[in-house]
Amino acid sequence: MNPSASRRAQQRKPSGLKYFIPVVAGKMVRALAKLRGGGSAFPGYVTTKLAPNFLRDVTHQFRYGIVYVLGSNGKSTTTHMLTEVLRGHGLRVFTNPSGANLPQGIASSILAESSVLGRLDADIGVLEVDEAFALEFAAVVPPSTVLVLNTQVDQLYRFYETERVADMMLDTAQQAALHIVTNREDPYLSKIARRYADGDATADPDITYFGASEAVIARAPHGLFNATDYRDATVLSDSHHALAELVATDRAGATIVVDGTTVDVTLPAKGLHYAIDAAAALATAAVILGDRFDGTSSAAAFATMKPAYGRGELLDFTNRDGVNEQVEFVMFKNAASLQLNLDALPEPPQQVLFAIDEGTPDISWIYDIDFAALDHVDVVTGAKAWQIALRLEHEGIAIGAVEPDLKKAIDIMRTLPRPSSGLKTWIVNYEIMMLARKQIGFLELENQR
Amino acid sequence: MSELTIVQLYPDELGVAGDRGNVMALTARLTRAGHSVTVIAHEVGSQLPTDVDLVIVGNGPLSAMRNIHADLLANGDRLRALRASGTAVFAYGSGAELLGHSITLADGTSLEGLAVLPFRATRISTRAVGYVIVDSPFGQIVGFEDNASRWTLDAGAKPLGILEAGSGNGEGSVEGVLDTGTVGTVVSGTVAIGTQVGGPALPLNPLLTDAIIASIGMRRGFTVINSERNEKLEYYATRARDVIIAHAKHVFSRI
Repeated sequence: MNPSASRRAQQRKPSGLKYFIPVVAGKMVRALAKLRGGGSAFPGYVTTKLAPNFLRDVTHQFRYGIVYVLGSNGKSTTTHMLTEVLRGHGLRVFTNPSGANLPQGIASSILAESSVLGRLDADIGVLEVDEAFALEFAAVVPPSTVLVLNTQVDQLYRFYETERVADMMLDTAQQAALHIVTNREDPYLSKIARRYADGDATADPDITYFGASEAVIARAPHGLFNATDYRDATVLSDSHHALAELVATDRAGATIVVDGTTVDVTLPAKGLHYAIDAAAALATAAVILGDRFDGTSSAAAFATMKPAYGRGELLDFTNRDGVNEQVEFVMFKNAASLQLNLDALPEPPQQVLFAIDEGTPDISWIYDIDFAALDHVDVVTGAKAWQIALRLEHEGIAIGAVEPDLKKAIDIMRTLPRPSSGLKTWIVNYEIMMLARKQIGFLELENQR
Repeated sequence: MSELTIVQLYPDELGVAGDRGNVMALTARLTRAGHSVTVIAHEVGSQLPTDVDLVIVGNGPLSAMRNIHADLLANGDRLRALRASGTAVFAYGSGAELLGHSITLADGTSLEGLAVLPFRATRISTRAVGYVIVDSPFGQIVGFEDNASRWTLDAGAKPLGILEAGSGNGEGSVEGVLDTGTVGTVVSGTVAIGTQVGGPALPLNPLLTDAIIASIGMRRGFTVINSERNEKLEYYATRARDVIIAHAKHVFSRI
């Protein structure tokens, strides 16, 4: 055995007794946190403090390594899609619960699934990672594959400059041992090949793209909403061959050509962004699985997929007459996800609640949104309710009521008669989505599913 | 009633913070008062019109500022001439900085500005994020600030107002810059405002919007009429402002 192979064998060796105490300590903290009634990142902190190499050693056991999923929008959805597609090919997949994408949260979820000897039975790990922490985390849990979805103008109060986020993600992508998968239609990300002397022909890692056909993009009312790369002479995308290309969308699904094979997928939620996420998941699955990739198994995985928590989810709701309806959650985190979600509405929704609270500190961008997809809003709510109302009034969109208190706003929605569609559409930011789910009786938190 | 022209500079590059909202607020109030408004987007390479009532510019990242910089400098004489002839100016964030003398960047280099507004900007490492309240000659102005800039006013230059909450210019407990009228030796009488109050500022602050409109009217010979159709806009703005004022001092202290 040559030295590097023996090193690899050592790394792959199932961990062992040295992890017994740190893992048990972490698990005990986790049990206590659960009793207290909530998820927590603290157990992961305890274990990694006691055994700094724990995460690296556990994840080194995975035959196909670790996949990072990064991006301004769509991390949870794409992580979910990729996980299900890989499971559809018979792989045992470890993944972090959506939303638990900070290092300690990921550590906690790895801990939860590990045996007391530090073993985790999986062939691959698919991890959604917050872009601000990804590079640092890559030093602890090195990725074999990095999927970068998009760069959108997002959380400027946190990242200051969009290009800074783009660089964080590009730098992390370069940490991949085997594969980089990224978005051909994204001005910043499509330029990753320029970081290598051989461009797209580079190896270790190699570069794979997903994308959408010109016709699909041309039909989108506001395009894909990826950030323009003003620092480069080419402010738009570089052109590349896409291994997975979205060629058509309809109400329920999308057609994606993966390396010459047409895959028709049903989408867990409406919208062009979900269709692009599906192309991203398929490109990544294809490059990881190689010859094992199968279009039929992939399509079957999509057919049974449930929406990621709060993303296009339909939840049961009872109005005041005891009539059953459903609430459709349209969740957004920034201008891009709100606009793409609005663009995906097939017609103006019959009953609409629109809510933003202080979880989204700066909402100046709501003036950049085209609200043509709405013909009215029944209730505006959340701490930013009056600011939303002010925005909608500038557009001449009728508002039924402004009620900053979410509970009272939901009560107003309850008094509205059942719409013929049976569907109430709640357009909400992440924090309100969590609160509203709880208010209508869906008590589990995102990272507890 | 008047036919008015608003020029928005580089709306794609310098318009990432809802800057369209400032144009919408002005347009809504002007058209409701019976004026007709033409909004012209000035893009890189396009020709500036000569008869302009208001130049408006918004915020964008440094990369976008660099992207439009050559075009801006090429149009410097025209923009200074417009201001000298009494065109009003409303400039927010990095767009305002480009209308000042210069912007000193973190690496020590600097970007030249047009010297339409009497201040210079320095990019600093501390970022100011959160609600902001300013006591201005037009009344209380509220909004959201998000920047890492210090604005140093020229000797004798006036701020937009005194800071009640937030970080403002980062020196002197004041916010923004307000020029009411002389460019060289010419007295224009119209306002040129540079500010870091976002939100965007004009929808949230009808008094400020009306001050700009009054300034345009002074030159065109009309006075501000507050249409009844503004009732809802005013009501929502008032309620939104109440929440901002209530939250200003604590909500974002830890971002």
